Amino acid sequence: MTQAPQGKLLTFPPALIGRTDLSHLLRELETLDNDLESQKARNRGKTQGYHLPNMSQALTDLLEINKIDVADDQARMNIRTELRKLKDHAPVIHMTFATDTDPESMEKIVEWIRKELHPQALVSVGLQPALVGGVYVRTPNHVHDLSIRAHMKDSRGIIVQALDALAKGIA
Amino acid sequence: MTIWWLISIIGSLAAVLAGFIWVAVKLSSVQSSDPGKKKKKDGKDASVNDLDKAYSDLAEEDVNHLFNKEFREELRNRGRLRFEKIVDENAMFLKQDLDLTISQLNEYMKQQISSKLDSEFTVYSKAMKEAQELTLGALQKTAQELEQQRAELSEAMKKSMTLHEAQMLKGFETNMAQIVESYVMQSLGEQFDMRSQLPYIMAQMEAHKKEMMEDMLL
Repeated sequence: MTQAPQGKLLTFPPALIGRTDLSHLLRELETLDNDLESQKARNRGKTQGYHLPNMSQALTDLLEINKIDVADDQARMNIRTELRKLKDHAPVIHMTFATDTDPESMEKIVEWIRKELHPQALVSVGLQPALVGGVYVRTPNHVHDLSIRAHMKDSRGIIVQALDALAKGIA
Repeated sequence: MTIWWLISIIGSLAAVLAGFIWVAVKLSSVQSSDPGKKKKKDGKDASVNDLDKAYSDLAEEDVNHLFNKEFREELRNRGRLRFEKIVDENAMFLKQDLDLTISQLNEYMKQQISSKLDSEFTVYSKAMKEAQELTLGALQKTAQELEQQRAELSEAMKKSMTLHEAQMLKGFETNMAQIVESYVMQSLGEQFDMRSQLPYIMAQMEAHKKEMMEDMLL
């Protein structure tokens, strides 16, 4: 697992769901870093009095959750390095749903995953209406079909048993 | 009646022949009864010869008188008639004999043919009986084989039907389950939104948390 700049695990905000979000976040962080470096050059090496540009909610949450001072050049560099590593090595869980997802539900799910499974897990979302309901989860090494389609397929025996009982009743 | 006519004609002919013979004998005896007088007669040969000639002529005349043309014609007619009668009778006898022979021959032929036919019929009947028994045996064997084949076929059909019935029942149950499943999917597929599914998803993930965690730690 990747360590936070202060020696703790880097914690992702709930709004950061997948690898795409992480790439956006990293690009935004690099832009921010360039902007601050430019300001630093204009201010002749003085880090005080930085004018912080507008940041996205994800980046703001990331900085707040991990208590990172964005004006600290070393901290920015560390977090950029960690995010680059996580972009390539963070565990990704693919989740396929039967319907379109909404941000609130996804945040709850991601929050549960990072709390129960892995704090730096990323989630890739897919859509497959044939699942009817539930979710089709693909972890790095296994597949967990938690959909209603699979549940109904497993429950075919109930229908067959009912038909057998009906046939016996008719006979 | 006819035989008596024949006997009378033959008797008449015999009497005429006997009279003729008697006259001839008398004449010869008259010639041989005077041998001592031969010499005397030598001189008288001419007169004797004349006499003989006269007697011959007389006898010839008598014969011609006795067997004249009418009498001979009558005899010829009678003989012809008699001959025809005899021929007719013999023809009749021959016909009777021939009829009898034919009848006997027919009877004989009938007996021979009957016996031959009987023997042939006996042989034929025997052969027919053997052929009938052979055919009956073959038919019985064929019937037994057919019955056996029918039983085997019936058993095979029964097994096949049972198997087919089980397969159809299994297919029906499977298809029925798929139909019900498809119906439920199509009926509910559009009804679930993410918010309504979230408790189910969280519960399922909670249930499989241990397996997923182990997989994440690998």
